[in-house]
Formats: sequence, structure tokens, C-alpha cells
Amino acid sequence: MLEVTNLSAGYGDIIAIRDFSFSVKAGEILTFIGANGAGKSTTLMAIMGLVKQNSGSIVLSGDDITNLPVEARIRQGIAIVPEGRRIFPDLTVRENLVVGGHSVSKQILEQGIETVFGYFGRLGERADQLAGSLSGGEQQMLAMGRALISRPKLLLVDELSLGLMPKIVDECYLVLGELNNNGMAIILVEQNTERALDVANSACVLEAGNPGFSGSVAEISNDDSLLNSLLGH
Amino acid sequence: MLYVELTIQGIVQGSIYALIALGLTLVYGLLRILHVAHAALFTLGGYIGVIVTNQTGSLTLAIVAAAIIVGLVGMAVYKLAYEPLLSQPPYIALIASIALFIASEELYRIIFGPYGLSYTVQPMSGHIELFDGFRLKYVEILVISMSVVILSVLGYLSLHSRMGIAWRATVTDPSMAQAFGVNIQNVRYLNFFIGSALAAIAGVLVALLNNFVEPTMGSVASYKALAIIVLGGLGSIRGTLLAAMLLGVIESFGTIYLGHLIDRDALAFAFLILVLMVRPQGLLGAK
Repeated sequence: MLEVTNLSAGYGDIIAIRDFSFSVKAGEILTFIGANGAGKSTTLMAIMGLVKQNSGSIVLSGDDITNLPVEARIRQGIAIVPEGRRIFPDLTVRENLVVGGHSVSKQILEQGIETVFGYFGRLGERADQLAGSLSGGEQQMLAMGRALISRPKLLLVDELSLGLMPKIVDECYLVLGELNNNGMAIILVEQNTERALDVANSACVLEAGNPGFSGSVAEISNDDSLLNSLLGH
Repeated sequence: MLYVELTIQGIVQGSIYALIALGLTLVYGLLRILHVAHAALFTLGGYIGVIVTNQTGSLTLAIVAAAIIVGLVGMAVYKLAYEPLLSQPPYIALIASIALFIASEELYRIIFGPYGLSYTVQPMSGHIELFDGFRLKYVEILVISMSVVILSVLGYLSLHSRMGIAWRATVTDPSMAQAFGVNIQNVRYLNFFIGSALAAIAGVLVALLNNFVEPTMGSVASYKALAIIVLGGLGSIRGTLLAAMLLGVIESFGTIYLGHLIDRDALAFAFLILVLMVRPQGLLGAK
């Protein structure tokens, strides 16, 4: 599905991630593990085309998308649930979803909105409410819903559980699991490492912009010292 | 009777202010630039209105031509003057804007002559008599009805069209809007086109009201429009419209009742200072 080779990216002169290679297949969840500033979010932004890429290549389903603008990447099937949710607070819930479907036809947009309301009933109840008036959990649901409208093949999820009640987090992960079961590839950045390793198939460890261990979650589980260092025990 | 007349005068003037100031608010909301040169586009609209009307005899054609030509000029102003400065602090763009405004006034002087132009046959010069000798000029009816129609259509589109929703999302968070495929460059062009076209229409209408255009007709408009967008709350569209109408009506009454104390054009600023003392964020601005 997605093959990233020797990716380097950053902001201006600052390189946030160096020579990072990884891949994720359809129906798989890959997680990036590392401290704040390790380059996890930057990598997601670079896949989306929102951060300048210095070198390396990004191939999605056999197509080289390295030099494609954001709009084209969305059409190729990538969508993002950004760090801090970044919903549009002055727009209603429905309008947020309309922006999420900016690049798709009206018909797909309408179907997408129905699907999202199916996943998250609360959003349907609050369809005409301003997104800024939603609770943190509902905003996270909206951020997920907004990314789903364009029917992505690959979903980039940045800090799903940060600052949310466990019950809401469970609900979000339930939807994520269902999408994954239907074949969606997911790259997950999550401060809750335990939770991330629980759902992911494979993991990449990042340290201050440099790639470290990379492999399946099973390998990590079998290596007690690695597991303990990742979980901070 | 006098009150009704003054109120209508105020609404006419307020409609003009609204058309001019809206473009300024749109640019500020999207780029955080105080687009002083906007008033130069208002003047250009007035000139195109008079010239096209005098050449063709059609006011409708004149309004359409002014809106389209000035809309395109507005897009060019963004591309040539502001886009290269977007990475700089906002006051750099402000300085460029002031320079552009002054240069335009001189340019109009050179191209159209220093003495101004009038309609050879002034269109819509009649009036209707409503009651008790109360007269309403055709031009005044045109100003109010055009403003209502144009602003309602734009308001509807911004609330209900996908492009309108995308535009509002871009104003709130440009990079996130981009993450969902909104082409923010196109949003900026559209923004400048619409804002500039509105200023041009205001220019044609002012030329009709005064039967006169001159190179410096934008100078009062430039600082008054700035006062209006600050008064309304920077970036707030509803605030801008409200402030424009209020100012129009206050000026209209103020000229009669306070005219011996304070100049008409100074009223805007006296009112601005009073409001900002109570509400520093403006009438409808966010804190």
C-alpha cells in the first residue's frame, strides 16, 4: 500500500526527520513510537504533503506521489486526523464534514456524512451545532469523521487519545478497528504506547529525528528489554 | 419626517460603506493585511463606471465592466504586491499597500486628468415622491437595493455553497483547509476578486450619487473603511456590515445635529474612539 524510502523532511532549515524508511500494507496498522519532537507528526505531515520533503520517495499503491500536491494525494486516498484535532470551530459539525469532502463529488460527500453519523451518533445529533461548542471527545470524533469523508485507503492518525476520557478513547478505537478490518491501512501516532502496541501490527521507533527499531509488534512483545524500554518500565 | 429622511440618507451612505469595507474585512480575515490600496480600486471602479456609461449609454454594462475589470486588478494586486510579502511581518505589506494607494492616485491623475469626470447624461437622475413631498432619488433606491441583493447573495453562498464553506474554513485554519484539498491560492484570488468587485460597484454608485469622480475620491473612503472594520471587530463580517450601517446613520444625523461642533468625516473617528473605550475588540469582534 504505502512504501516510504529514505524520507527526510522538516520546517525551513530544521530537519525534523532523517532517512526514515517504512511501509504499511492494506488492512495493517503501523505505529510510530518516540518522545515529543522525535519527528512522528512531521512524518505524517510529509506523507500528506503538508511539510516540505527534502529527500526520499513516497509510493502509494504503486504510484510515486513524492511530488504530488496535497489535493492529488487526497484523491489517491490519503487522509489525516491531525494532532490537536484542528477542527474548524466556527463551522458547524456538518460544515466541517463538507470541508473534509472538499475533493469528492456531492454524492460521495452526502454518503460520507451519513456513514460518519452512523459511526458517531453524537455527531449526527449535533450536526448543526458549531464544532467549537463540542466536548473534546466529540471534537476528536469529528476530526476522525472529517478524514473519512473522502474514503481514504490510508488514514494518518496523530494522537488519538490525548486529553480524552477513556470511554471516548475506547469508542474512537472501536471505529478505527472496524475501518482497519474493512481493509484500511492506518498509521498511528499515539502517546499511549501500550494502547498503540495493543492495536498495531508493526511499529517504528524514532529518536530525535533518527529511525531506530522497526519491526512487527510480535517481535517487540518477545523482546522484554525492548518492550520495557518502550513502555518506560 | 426629518428623521425618516436622515435615516434613509444614512442607510444609503451605510450601504456604500458596507460594499467598500467588506472587501477590506475579507482581506484582513484571510491574510491579516490592512489593504489600504483597496480604496484605489474603489476609485478605479468609479472611473470605469463613468467612462463606460458615457461611451455606451448603458449603466448596467458600466457596473458589470467595473466589477469584472477591478476584480481582476484586485487579483493582480494580490499576486504582485502581497503574495511576495506574505512571509514578512504584516506591516511590510501595509507599507506596500500605502505606497500602492498613493501611486494609484497619481496614476489616475496622469491617465484620467486632474479635474475629474462627470456623466455626460447622468443616469437615474429622477426621483419619486412618496408622501408629504418626501422624495426618494432613483439613485438612492438603486444603492440600497443593489447592496441588499449583492450582500444577501454573497451571504447565502458563504453559508450554503461548498466553496463558501471551504472559504470560511480557510479563514479559520488555512493549513488544515489545505489538508482536505482546499486550494488556498484559489481562495485568495476569489477573495480579492469579490472584495475588489464590490469596491468597484461602490465606486460606480458614488459616482452616480455625486455625478463626479476624481483621482483622490478614495482617500476619505480609505481611512473611513479602516475605521469601520476596526469598529466592527477586525475580521468580523457581520461586525463590518453593522458598523457600516451605524456609521452611515450616525453621520447623517450628526451632520445636522453636531455639524457646528465636529466635521462629518471626523464623526467616524469620534464614534470609533467611544466604542473602543467600551469594547476594545470592536462591536462584534472576538476577544
